[in-house]
Amino acid sequence: MAYPQVAEHGAQERLAVNRTGLWLFILSESFLFGAALSSRYYLQGVERPPELNQLLGLGITLVLLTSSLTAYRAERAAVHGHLKGLTRNLAATIGLGLLFLVGVVIEWYEAFHYFPPSTAYGTVFLTTTGLHGFHVLTGVIALTFILLLGRDGRFTGGNFWPVEGAVKYWHFVDVAWVFIYPSLYLVR
Amino acid sequence: MRRPGGLAADWGRGWWVFAALVVLTVFELGLLLIDMPAGLFRVLLLAVNLADAWLIAYYFMHIAQLWRGE
Repeated sequence: MAYPQVAEHGAQERLAVNRTGLWLFILSESFLFGAALSSRYYLQGVERPPELNQLLGLGITLVLLTSSLTAYRAERAAVHGHLKGLTRNLAATIGLGLLFLVGVVIEWYEAFHYFPPSTAYGTVFLTTTGLHGFHVLTGVIALTFILLLGRDGRFTGGNFWPVEGAVKYWHFVDVAWVFIYPSLYLVR
Repeated sequence: MRRPGGLAADWGRGWWVFAALVVLTVFELGLLLIDMPAGLFRVLLLAVNLADAWLIAYYFMHIAQLWRGE
């Protein structure tokens, strides 16, 4: 490259634009979850059924928080050019994401039994957890793509944006759950 | 952005943030066991949720990159 400083400046600029675009996307997504949560309070107030499985709610919350740690570790490994750290932590994040989804399936099984969709709480619960679960699923798919593509080290040689983007999305899914969990399970 | 201290320092920071998130989540659940006015309970719950979200956004999502331009 004849002008390395110009190329470096261009790459930094592109990274900044990518980050801003992703944050705007995250902001727009947060309105979607905000609407789902506000419908919970509009339709049901702060009431919640006593049959809610508190242990399961806490369990899947801890699983998702742990997956945020492994996702962070994967992203930092990519930034520092540590391929093994990247692949191991991405695999762990995907595994924890799948475990969370298993928890959601159990959650749904119980919900259909105790508060079916014909009830106000059932509608809110299934819509919100379903919307969130779909985001977890898309996050798992994105992270799986990153893992498969990144095994050859293409994301640990300075081009870490794809990892950073997918991981930021994953953290957003976690932040959304941080508000969903107390709204569905704890508030009174 | 690479912070001083390298990967080990970054991963160590991750553990501290994770520990704080777990403590806040357990505290949140513990609030259910304490008899207090409903309004106070909701304010405390919201405060814990905002703290959780801030920890994730600041340390894990590096939201400060937006204004620091790293």
